[in-house]
Amino acid sequence: MKYMIMMFGGIGAATQNRSPEWIAGMHELLMKLDTELKESGECVASDSLVDPSQAKTIRFVDNAPVPTDGPFAEVKESLAGYWVVEVDEERALQIASQVVGYTEYPMEVRRIMEHSAQP
Amino acid sequence: MTGAQSRAVTGQHRIEDLLREFAPQVLAALIRRHGQFDACEDAVQEALLAATRQWPSEGIPERPRSWLLAVASRALVDEWRADSARRRRETAAALDPTDHVPAADLAAHLTADLAGADGDDTLALLFLCCHPALSPPSQLALTLRAAGGLTTAEIAAAFLVPEATIAKRIVRAKQRIRETGARFELPSQPQRTERLGVVLHVLYLIFNEGYTASSGPALQRTDLIAEAIRLTRRLHRLLPGEAEVAGLLALMLLTDARRAARTDTDGRIVPLADQQRDLWDTAAIAEGQAVLTRTLGSGPVGPYQLQAAIAALHDEAPTAEATDWPQVLALYDVLTTVAPGPVVTLSRAVALAHVHGPQAGLALLGTLDADERMAHSHRLEAVRAHLLEQVGDTTAARDSYLQAAKMTASLPEQRYLELRAARLHHPGQPSRLTGPVTTHLERDNP
Repeated sequence: MKYMIMMFGGIGAATQNRSPEWIAGMHELLMKLDTELKESGECVASDSLVDPSQAKTIRFVDNAPVPTDGPFAEVKESLAGYWVVEVDEERALQIASQVVGYTEYPMEVRRIMEHSAQP
Repeated sequence: MTGAQSRAVTGQHRIEDLLREFAPQVLAALIRRHGQFDACEDAVQEALLAATRQWPSEGIPERPRSWLLAVASRALVDEWRADSARRRRETAAALDPTDHVPAADLAAHLTADLAGADGDDTLALLFLCCHPALSPPSQLALTLRAAGGLTTAEIAAAFLVPEATIAKRIVRAKQRIRETGARFELPSQPQRTERLGVVLHVLYLIFNEGYTASSGPALQRTDLIAEAIRLTRRLHRLLPGEAEVAGLLALMLLTDARRAARTDTDGRIVPLADQQRDLWDTAAIAEGQAVLTRTLGSGPVGPYQLQAAIAALHDEAPTAEATDWPQVLALYDVLTTVAPGPVVTLSRAVALAHVHGPQAGLALLGTLDADERMAHSHRLEAVRAHLLEQVGDTTAARDSYLQAAKMTASLPEQRYLELRAARLHHPGQPSRLTGPVTTHLERDNP
């Protein structure tokens, strides 16, 4: 089974009032976890997105699609990065908990759909 | 296709066949001599890659197995030489084979070992690759590479993941095997029966991985089916007395026989009841039936034999309507006693509905409502929706379809369920979804 573990833009906002040590510690944790997931063969894909302020949203206005600046959701709810891991649910939750345990900011874990008929 | 192209394709297949046959033999010969599973396995993979590079252009060597052995031995020696720390240690202990045995001689020694290579090696290899300490994804990857003779790139393509991911899994799996102190030998009873169960499960997972895919590079996925059948066939040859090994082989053959009819020209899944039965592979069905007939009654009946027997009943029916549902139900009754579980109950409910009507099926489904193991499965709601539709309760049927569509992790199934719900909401709209439907959600290999 594959799961997507999602981080949101709010993690940036949550770091604003933190000490440099705290921020460095978070970066260290994320890089260590990323390396660990890649070395173990659990990570199938991962990426980070640019800041949500750089996003554009296309809306349907007056019967036509119109691009506007800014993300669809609120900045703090906007996707910032993800891991796709091939593990069972328990392990996926454990991975996300390691990050949340440090940042105290929520992450989402959701299963990726199978292209087969019998999951 | 020109003659030359066709010869090239045939040559390519022949190379693959040879590599997949000889790789585990060469690996076993190396391990028996040196005992280092992980280093030997790496060396064989090097040899496979060299063969994949060279044989298509230079031709297949006269003695392909010896060729592989020589190249793998050289790779092993190179590895030892590169590992200077190890070399110092071993020179000190006067054990470094590179000091006194050139690679060619090493291979010559091993050729003698190859001659003695027998079924026990293949079995020991399978038991090692399917070690219970490994996670299922690692067991699958290692089995395909070490016992199946596939390259990392081929495995990655088949599972639709990056090559680096599979490479890491294999490194980690071999590390784990080393940590557990597992040896290249046949486990003894009573462990052996349990370990054989894990091997069968891994082979079943490889088969399912190839069989259930409706998208992705179809050819490569089909490779997984061929590989699973090949390994199970080999296992059956080595352990002809193990009824469940025969059962699994029969199940694979009888299920795979329907492959051509299982998807339509657009790649959509065709439910068993709607399949064009003249597309089924009669040779595979005959072989599956023969294996099953030889096996049933020869030992304790197990879940794979029973599932194969159910698959055989479907395969024998000239039309969906002609299916011997009472017999299918009887087999599910036995399966319920041999290997009870919510998934078996669910399949039994479908059979029950065919024999005694949808109300009887719905009543049995009711017993699963409190079962926590079904709390996250869409299948219960999907079967309920079909049965509710059959008894004419369209409102409840629609709710169940939508609930199932929300719960499923299968994209084609979700599309199917949403369509069925929408059709109940807009009756009279033309739809492709006609005909008997309850068998759509019945796992044809439950």
